[in-house]
Amino acid sequence: MFFRKYKIVIFIAVVFFAVLIAIIYNLKVSRDNSFIRKMVMETASPVYGVFSGSLQGIQDAWSRYVLLVGIQEENKKLKNKVNELKANIVSYRESYYEAQRLKKLLAITDHYPYRFTGARVIGREQAALSRTVLINKGSSDGLREGMPVIAYPGLIGRLIDVSWHASRVLLLIDENSNVDAIVQRNRTQGIISGAGSQGMILKYISKTQDVQKGDVVISSGMGGVFPKGWLIGQVIDVDRKAAGLFLKITVAPFVDLSKLEDVLVLSSDEQTLK
Amino acid sequence: MLYYLLLPIASVLLIVLQSVMTDVVFSSRFVFELSLLVTIYAGFRLEFMRGTWLALVVGLAFDCLSGSVPGVGTLIYMVVFWSAFYISDWLDTEKTHIIVTFSFVCVLFKETLVIFFYYLAFEINVLAAAYPVMVIKALIIGLLAPLFFYGMDRTGWLLYEDKV
Repeated sequence: MFFRKYKIVIFIAVVFFAVLIAIIYNLKVSRDNSFIRKMVMETASPVYGVFSGSLQGIQDAWSRYVLLVGIQEENKKLKNKVNELKANIVSYRESYYEAQRLKKLLAITDHYPYRFTGARVIGREQAALSRTVLINKGSSDGLREGMPVIAYPGLIGRLIDVSWHASRVLLLIDENSNVDAIVQRNRTQGIISGAGSQGMILKYISKTQDVQKGDVVISSGMGGVFPKGWLIGQVIDVDRKAAGLFLKITVAPFVDLSKLEDVLVLSSDEQTLK
Repeated sequence: MLYYLLLPIASVLLIVLQSVMTDVVFSSRFVFELSLLVTIYAGFRLEFMRGTWLALVVGLAFDCLSGSVPGVGTLIYMVVFWSAFYISDWLDTEKTHIIVTFSFVCVLFKETLVIFFYYLAFEINVLAAAYPVMVIKALIIGLLAPLFFYGMDRTGWLLYEDKV
């Protein structure tokens, strides 16, 4: 009767004291020898293995993902940096080339007693019959029509249209260009006329004259437009079989007229300076 | 019968899961005692004998795998179960604030008993160092308890029969 009435209380008390005794026993005896502990650990170890393996896999995947995200971000930054550096290099290279060009132009100004006005080519006329370029200096800079224009190492043409802040340069290869010239080696005089894409033709040289391929042609100073002694071009072909009294001499300009960027305009001649 | 056969395995799995969660979520700062929540849940929902066995086995598994003195955890889990069981007769254990409060108190109670036991048995007093962690742990477990109870109510019907 007593046990039935208080069976739960008795059960609790029994379990409680049993566990308490177990605790005291475990405190007295070495805990590592517990059979139950070994059993539980044996059961748990494969489960731990599975969980740890899965966890490790997830952690690895996460680490890789984070790493990839980091790399992607870094890659993006580096690409931007590379583009920035490339732009810098282009800028520096451009500055270098410009410095080289200007240095050559300055060398010209040092050797000749003229007043030069530096200008930049800002446009080209692409018409088949017209070979002109536009520069960014005009009458407000003291330029006038007819002034010779040079680029390293020699003449390239003359001004034909001058506005306040821009001017048009008629190149030596233009069909309308005619310059009095001489062959440097034997002082044979002729007229250099523009021939478009063929370059220039040295006209009015008698077939009896000794003009050879490779001869240098310079300005004669006659006519009052171009000063004497400026380089114009080099003879690349001499046709002695052409009809008529004169030789057909083809001359290539010293300056690559398709790549003009900076030019000098002889804005006053030697006499004026004196 | 199946319940009593599966209980030891399930308890070991529970403790391992708890250990993994502690590592992953809480970076081993403190043990997230899912097993204690299971014991409280058993006290609220299971009938006496099943719950007692559950507390005993889960407590034993906890002791064996956590490296503490075998029996300490078992005793505390059983006391927690019995307390939850008898409180469930007096309070509406479906209510969230009851679950939160009781879980919070149980965690504090368990930690205090462990500290007290270690002080008695080995004369180690870690109360001052463990107190802040203990409170944070109790708060976290208390706040997560309703979520766990909700999940168990939805999925745990296979494991128990309604308490009579």
